Amino acid sequence: MNRFIIKHKKAIAILILFAVLFWLLTVQVKNGRFSFLEKPVLAVSGFVERIVMWPFSTTAAVLRGYVVLVYTESENRRLHGEIDRLKMDNAVTNELLLENNRLRQMLEFKALRYPEAIAVKVIGKELSPASSTVTINKGSDQGIQKDMAVITAAGVVGKVQSVTGGTAKVILLTDPGNTLAVRVQRNREEGLLEGKLVNCALKYVSYYADIQKGDLLVTSGLDGIYPSGLAVGTVVTVSKREAVAFQSITAEPAVGFSRLEEALVLRK
Amino acid sequence: MKPLVYIAMFVFLLPLQAGLLALLSIGGIVPDLGLALLFIIGLLTGPAEATMAGIGIGLLQDIGSASFLGFTGLTRGVVGLGVGLIGRHVLDRSSPFIILFLALFSIIEGACISLFFQITYGDVPFFTLLFTRYLPRTLYTCALCLVLLRFTDRSDFLRLIKRPVIGKEL
Repeated sequence: MNRFIIKHKKAIAILILFAVLFWLLTVQVKNGRFSFLEKPVLAVSGFVERIVMWPFSTTAAVLRGYVVLVYTESENRRLHGEIDRLKMDNAVTNELLLENNRLRQMLEFKALRYPEAIAVKVIGKELSPASSTVTINKGSDQGIQKDMAVITAAGVVGKVQSVTGGTAKVILLTDPGNTLAVRVQRNREEGLLEGKLVNCALKYVSYYADIQKGDLLVTSGLDGIYPSGLAVGTVVTVSKREAVAFQSITAEPAVGFSRLEEALVLRK
Repeated sequence: MKPLVYIAMFVFLLPLQAGLLALLSIGGIVPDLGLALLFIIGLLTGPAEATMAGIGIGLLQDIGSASFLGFTGLTRGVVGLGVGLIGRHVLDRSSPFIILFLALFSIIEGACISLFFQITYGDVPFFTLLFTRYLPRTLYTCALCLVLLRFTDRSDFLRLIKRPVIGKEL
């Protein structure tokens, strides 16, 4: 027996490791994802990433900022930020109008306030084939906390999943572990949007609800993370099956994640 | 020397994947450095070492991303085992046809991940996921791996982790 173990110790060790990993997986599927190692690993990788990227970002900054366009770069950045904020205001106007009408009818008018946003830059993308995340260049030192909403002018990006001093990891809408409460802007039907890696699925929408292709989905605010009225995505397909209580709906995110460079983190 | 190479690889894997390779993104598709490195390790070492390296790389990618801890570790471990077993029979690492094995492993891994999400969450667009996410990623990873294989062949950088018996086998 002992000789067998000694002879096959590598194979036995690997089998035990695989069994442990499989057990870890089943536990997490039931109880949620473990995140105890995230902070130290993100801190080290964030630090090394800054060092690794320093020559590239410095060269790019020198080329763009000083040699080619001396003042245009900073001016352009400022104007881009301003345009993004104006676009966001514009995007929520429609939602505000609808809500305004309802509130006026009820004689309970109150102004909507959006919290001050923190402008961030995406410094890293997609670390694993099984998830959709990005890394941003600001962290707890700049006031970013776990579960803060991340948006752009086009709509919702996702939420902050973990934070270190100078960086944070944002879980995108398309990640299978991400869910948010949404409603259809046209008829106020509510549902839960779940990430499906390439797109999203709108769940728990009644069989009898009127959902059409092209319907705009906005945040409902019921999840306590995202303010209500932010654009989330549009309905791409709708299918109903007999004897199934809910419709099967897929939606395309409003934000193009492949081109995501800057975003705003909303303070709680 | 070998542990140092692995430590350096683990320290630089996430920053390079998240930072440098993100700059090479084409339409949102980024090559998988972890898989490319694992393939080379599998060819140079043996199944046991490649499996351990695969588990290590996968766990690191799990921690650095939002996936379940151990999920990519498990799939990468199996890939490492497969590549390590194939690596025993490969004598010409410079042959571009070897990359077909990487493509095969990458697609199988993508299919397994899609299936896992299909079972766990349901309603996952399996074929869309496979053809729009994992297939382009596989092709890009294969291209990256070809470049890395050429680099390792010329510079002998990864000979530090090469299994000692390969000289006798040759």
